[in-house]
Amino acid sequence: MSSDVRFTDFKSDKQPTWCPGCGDFGTMNGMMKALANTGNDPDNTFVVAGIGCSGKIGTYMHSYALHGVHGRALPVGTGVKMARPDIEVMVAGGDGDGYSIGAGHFVHAVRRNVDMTYCVMDNRIYGLTKGQASPTSRSDFETSTTPEGPKQPPVNPLALALASGASFIAQSFSSDAMRHAEIVQEAIEHDGFGFVNIFSPCVTFNDVDTYDYFRDNLVDLQEDEDHDPNDYEAAKEVILDSDKEYQGVMYQNENSVPYHEQHGVTEDMSEIPDGAPEDAMDLVREFY
Amino acid sequence: MAEDLNWAVGGEAGDGIDSTGKIFAQALARAGRHVFTSKDFASRIRGGYTAYKIRTSVDKVQSVVDRLDILVALTQRTIDENLDELHEGSAIIYDGERSWEAEIPDEMTAVDVPLKSLAEEAGGAIMRNIVALGAACEITGFDVEYLDEALEKRFGGKGSKIVENNKEAARAGQEYVQENYDLDHLGYNIDTTDNDYVLLNGNEAVGMGALAAGCRFYAGYPITPATSIMEYLTERIEDYGGHVVQAEDELSAINMSLGAARAGARSMTATSGAGIDLMTETFGLVATSETPLVIADVQRSGPSTGMPTKQEQGDLNMALYGGHGEVPRFVVAPTSITECFWKTVEAFNLAEKYQTPVFLVSDLAMSVTEQTFPPEAFDMDEVEIDRGKLVDEDEVDEWLDAQGHFRAHAVTEDGVSPRAIPGTTDAAHMSTGLEHDELGRRTEEEDERVHQVDKRYRKVETARNEEDWDYREFGDSDADNLVISWGSNEGALVEALDYLEADGIDVRVISVPYIFPRPDLTEEIEAADQTIVVENNATGQFADVIEHDVLTRVKRINKYTGVRFKADELADDITEKLTEEVPA
Repeated sequence: MSSDVRFTDFKSDKQPTWCPGCGDFGTMNGMMKALANTGNDPDNTFVVAGIGCSGKIGTYMHSYALHGVHGRALPVGTGVKMARPDIEVMVAGGDGDGYSIGAGHFVHAVRRNVDMTYCVMDNRIYGLTKGQASPTSRSDFETSTTPEGPKQPPVNPLALALASGASFIAQSFSSDAMRHAEIVQEAIEHDGFGFVNIFSPCVTFNDVDTYDYFRDNLVDLQEDEDHDPNDYEAAKEVILDSDKEYQGVMYQNENSVPYHEQHGVTEDMSEIPDGAPEDAMDLVREFY
Repeated sequence: MAEDLNWAVGGEAGDGIDSTGKIFAQALARAGRHVFTSKDFASRIRGGYTAYKIRTSVDKVQSVVDRLDILVALTQRTIDENLDELHEGSAIIYDGERSWEAEIPDEMTAVDVPLKSLAEEAGGAIMRNIVALGAACEITGFDVEYLDEALEKRFGGKGSKIVENNKEAARAGQEYVQENYDLDHLGYNIDTTDNDYVLLNGNEAVGMGALAAGCRFYAGYPITPATSIMEYLTERIEDYGGHVVQAEDELSAINMSLGAARAGARSMTATSGAGIDLMTETFGLVATSETPLVIADVQRSGPSTGMPTKQEQGDLNMALYGGHGEVPRFVVAPTSITECFWKTVEAFNLAEKYQTPVFLVSDLAMSVTEQTFPPEAFDMDEVEIDRGKLVDEDEVDEWLDAQGHFRAHAVTEDGVSPRAIPGTTDAAHMSTGLEHDELGRRTEEEDERVHQVDKRYRKVETARNEEDWDYREFGDSDADNLVISWGSNEGALVEALDYLEADGIDVRVISVPYIFPRPDLTEEIEAADQTIVVENNATGQFADVIEHDVLTRVKRINKYTGVRFKADELADDITEKLTEEVPA
């Protein structure tokens, strides 16, 4: 780890194929800034991504990375972190990846409180499959598979996280570059599962949840002196408020103990002896 | 053949049948006798017939037979279920004070012992099974002091009072039989030896092999009969700096294991039945991202939920072909409990040397069966670790392209690329399930695609040439009759040879622990007049691949009742099959 790491060191020389104007550009830049600001470098960072537009992020960033199967990025991140508590683990996914096919994993990763950062690029639509409803799409949002709207309420990922026992819940907006990077940085610095839902507008298929919509409607919790992220009840109020869109850290449990510490995992699991461990015959003797 | 004793305890699930059997098996092992156990159990927690059977001899025993000499019956169903294995000389221990009247065939010896009252006198009704064990010792002339040792091992952790009570319960059963029956040990002579044997089952051997091989991470989801691998590791892996995660499902389990493996840990998951179906989604990712991972499938009876607590070898096709697209992999199938240990060690080495998924295919019969072995059978000094092309910081330079990118999927002559784990300076790279170039970056370019597919399959070819894909052989190597088997059938086949030999039938047995790659058996099959493939499935999945390899038809013995082969039964099946017309 070196102190002169710049955020561009986390950039690969592969040109993104995201649509011009896609929110994912800003989302990724903020993630890279946050990684650099927290003193990480590409050699000690592991980025896991799932499938979809969001999943491409591993290709455009430079670090150790795995681009896996749809919805399973969190379990991969969990395995990396357990094996290597010394490695910074960042998991990226989309709203479909994280709250639909991967919803089960989301709940359990949250309650396990593995020390990693989960950035969900939420554009409230399926982009790469060309415009179908996602779990966070509004109930009246007309798409190719829901011509009259999904007619079911959207998933509230922040509430799902809170109900699952999250220790860090935040939301950011990819276009508010500085705040977004700051919020992701707080998530990285959190000891435990740092969850950030990021509004990352899809300029091609979503004409409702646009940059303008978020600019006009976003309330920054930082400007609300009354909001204390350590206050569970206050967090609940903000998270369940369906009339407004918020950015900032909604909730943080300062007493959070990450999963690997709770389970006493401290060692680098990649180190093993050349043969069986010295006391291995004890494993046999216990069957006497 | 030395004198065998076949003993069983049966009752309802929840009656402590398993621990009762295990205690007796341990007592016999401590007396230097060989033990082979088998279990009948139902997929429920309480109620339903369950039994624990022990075959014991001073000679090695590695199969069950159709014979039961002493039965501890806690229910009438226990007697009814075993009628075909009981014989005129059998003794049945039961508790006549209970609210059932045992219906025991006239020619058998009924031993009515007030198990519950005697246990209560010794300190608690819960010990009624121990009273029965004391009675069993007396009936067979087995020294009850060995039982004391097993009780000390079992209950030592719970305090001396509990141990003493149990010993007293055993004595009460022994004395009751002494005082009320004149059986003269039913003619049994339970010889003992000075040998110290270990007693363990296949899943314990897999878990032990994993620890010896340096496995540090395991993620799994509970499923019969694979769970005991997870339970074994949970209790011990932390002593070695490792960790077990009980995942939310099998999809998560295999992906967690993959994550740990990419981070550099020797990593494993295990499952069975429907669990392996769920994991199939990730098979291709493991192979394409070239991640070393051991995936154990402890087969049970399928399809769907099938018979979850019954034996079958029905997943071979799944292990060989499971997953969309073409997935290079190795499939290793241990043929005995010791092989469960050694093949697990080998699986980890193969996984890292060739950066592929390795399927370790075991089965229910092997996973729950306990067997005695000299401890040297698991000699840890013989364990070797080969981590393959794991590059350190000094070696990274050799594998950088002109722009300084690490070629994690470099196209090499042997198909194996360098592997750098996170933290290795200048080797940061991504891997993906998408088709990719040498740097791991997505590509759909035709030549790159072909290079990578060829490269991944070239690893299999390299392994085919460099590793020993051997088989084990038993019986008469010059015999005209050839029997081929895989998985846990080996023990029954080896013992079947004794029966066949007694009938003047010479057989050569080949037991194959490698399904893919596998040994080429063309010469062996061509040298034989007749070839029979024995397996616990209905369609003959291994026979199919053998026919495909050798381009000749083989005979098949298939058992898919949910019950493993028995030695004497298998000898009869082979005799019968040898007289059948060769299939066209």
